[in-house]
Parts: sequence; C-alpha cells; structure tokens
Amino acid sequence: MYGDLGNKLVQHAKRTQNLTHLPPYQTELVRNVAHEVRDLDKYTKSILEQLGDSFDPNTDQATACTLTVSHLAMRRNKRCLLAYHRTRTDKLEELVWSGSDIADLAGQQQQRAAPGGAGANVSGMNGDGASSSLSPQEEDYMRQYSDLLAAYKGQWTDIDLTGSLEPPRDLFIDVRVLKDAGEIQTEYGAINLTKNSQFYVRQGDVERLIAQGYLQKLS
Amino acid sequence: MGYYDVDEILTEAEKIPCTFNLTCPDLGYLDNNPSAPLKSGTEVSLPLWLAELLALPIPGSEADSAYATIELPPPLSQEVVQALKADPRAVPLRDQSAHFYSLATRMLDLFDEKELTAVLRKTFAVRAGEIALHARKGATGAGGGTAEDKASNLGVGGAGEEFLRGLDEWERRLFRKAHDGAKSGKEWMDGVKKH
Repeated sequence: MYGDLGNKLVQHAKRTQNLTHLPPYQTELVRNVAHEVRDLDKYTKSILEQLGDSFDPNTDQATACTLTVSHLAMRRNKRCLLAYHRTRTDKLEELVWSGSDIADLAGQQQQRAAPGGAGANVSGMNGDGASSSLSPQEEDYMRQYSDLLAAYKGQWTDIDLTGSLEPPRDLFIDVRVLKDAGEIQTEYGAINLTKNSQFYVRQGDVERLIAQGYLQKLS
Repeated sequence: MGYYDVDEILTEAEKIPCTFNLTCPDLGYLDNNPSAPLKSGTEVSLPLWLAELLALPIPGSEADSAYATIELPPPLSQEVVQALKADPRAVPLRDQSAHFYSLATRMLDLFDEKELTAVLRKTFAVRAGEIALHARKGATGAGGGTAEDKASNLGVGGAGEEFLRGLDEWERRLFRKAHDGAKSGKEWMDGVKKH
C-alpha cells in the first residue's frame, strides 16, 4: 500500500521525539519513500498522456478517482518526509543549544579545541571509521547552525547564552578528570588535566569540559 | 497541531472502513488484488488521509455522490461506546487506538454524532481526574512509589499500572505534564525548606 513506508518514517520520528540522543538517519527508508513518489508521478503522467486533452473528470470518474488516489499518496509521502526531517532538525538545534559538538554526534573523538573560556587542547584519535548518525546534509545543517548560534552569542561577550541556568553555589568546585583533556589555561595558570587526577578549579573555567564529559563535578 | 505534527500524521494513518461507489479498473491494489479492478460496492479499509478526501462529494456532479462512503472506524464502534458509557475508566483506550481522541475528533468533523460527542467528552473528563490522581501519587511518592518507580516514565506501580497502560497519546501527555508539575512543585518546596 502506498504511504506505508512514509508511515514507518514518521514512527521513527515519533520515537526520536522521546529520545535524548539522535538515532541513525534512515537513509534507505527516505530513499524508498522518495522513490515511491517518483513512481507515482511517472504513473500519473503516463495516464494523463494517454488521455491527452480529451480527459474530462466528470465523465471518466474511474480515472479521476485513480488520479486522486495517486495524488493523495504523493502528498502524504511528502508530508511524512518533511515531518521526519523537521523532527530531526529540531533535535539538532536543541543539541547545538545544549552545547553538543558535531564531532560527538558523529561518534568521533576528534581533536578539537573547545571554544569559550577554556581553551582546551583535547587529545584524541581521529576515528574516521565510525559511522555517523547524521546524514551529510544534517551535518552541514548542524555546522551552519552552530556558526549562526556562535555569531548570535558573540554580540554579548559578558553573558553566556548557553550557560547553565542554575546559579552556582560556589565559584570554585572540585572536579575529577575522567578522560585526558590536556592542558588548559586559567587565570591562575595552566592546569594539566590527566586522567584520574583531582582539582579545585573555578567553575566557569571547566563548565564546558564537564558538559563534554571530560570532567566530573564532585559535590 | 500542524503540518509537521507527528501525532497528527500518525492519526491519519488509522484505517477507516470505506465502500467504493464506483468501479475503478486501476485501483485493485487497494483491495490487495492489483490484477483485478476495484468493483463498485467493495469494502476496503483505507487510511484516514485517503478515505477522508475520497468521501468528499465530487465537484460538478449531483449531490451526495462521492468516490467512496466511509463509516466510523472500529475504535468508535457501538461496542466501545457502550463500554465507555458503562465505565470510562475500565476501557483501555490505547488498545482501540493509540491516537483515540485525535482520531475521534477527526471523525466527528465528518460525522454529526451528538451522542458520541457527549460520551467522549464525559469519558475524557472522568479519565482526566483519574490520571491526575495517579500522576500526583507517582510524583510525591505517597502511593508507595519507590525510587525506581519515579525514575521510570510512568511513575506509578501497582493497581494503577493497568489503567495507565491503557492511556492514549493525548492522555499520556496529560499524565506526564501532571506528573512533572507535581514533581517540580515538590522539589521546589524541598528547596525552600533547605535554605
């Protein structure tokens, strides 16, 4: 039945809404739905060509009905495709705002300097083999959206728009290093973050590293 | 609500019983028989997105003629309505349809059923009260809810579990909101006491 594949796609979207992470992009399913639309379009065109100008929907109701059904199926598929992608881009935007890196999502531990206060020098491997859960277009979208957000945030240098909304209890906190994060520069000099070591640092300096999972806050 | 609304799209996938009013040579596949024509009078179940528009009167022809005639789907059958009349809380709506209310709303756009409307309105009101009760219980832990219960999505154990399993999507959202609201309220109160 036409539209069944599109329905599957929307069910994926529904599941995605309740997840915190983004499940893999359904490349195959999207391609098949698009294919279905193309087939229906071809079919519709061939009918219309056969009939030529003499086609009158009022006298030839059976054909009119067939065409209506194909048209509705195409329209339905379009809506399913758009809703699926919209759900995912909404999620991506949410992830960008919460400070996720595109590299984290792609499942790659890429070397990447954290923007903001902590100029972290993160050491890691380039895991090119890991498959990304984003489509290439989505990666592009996320990158550009991150740039957009960075540009927007850049207007207010004294406020971190993506910072925590919880007021801090103390300026300084104890943190434990979960993963080697290299050396970071703070107002009080450089700290070398090696795994399993513990530090008493200013919260603002390490907030991003905590969000990225390099450090753990000790209460 | 809207074009991109996933729940609305899934509602439109619900099957509606249709009877075709004309013979269509090329539509046999709708009746799982692509080689044969779809005869006039054939009964098929079609998704709402298709059925709804096939049931509209054909423009330019005589009144009340359409490609197909539709009926109320099984979730809104007399049996279900009778059961709802007897006790709204005893019917697992989810087993009828995961989008029970939104399906009903869409169908009532097409059918003028005053009695059904009244039954559904009462059903929702009665069940909403029950949902609120369970949501509070789960959030405050007064109903013997353990930490594990609270961690799960539906934070209630025991007797209410079966009722909560039978909630449709709309009711689930309501439950979650009521639950989260009560929980946040409690957390805030605890915070106030501490400082």
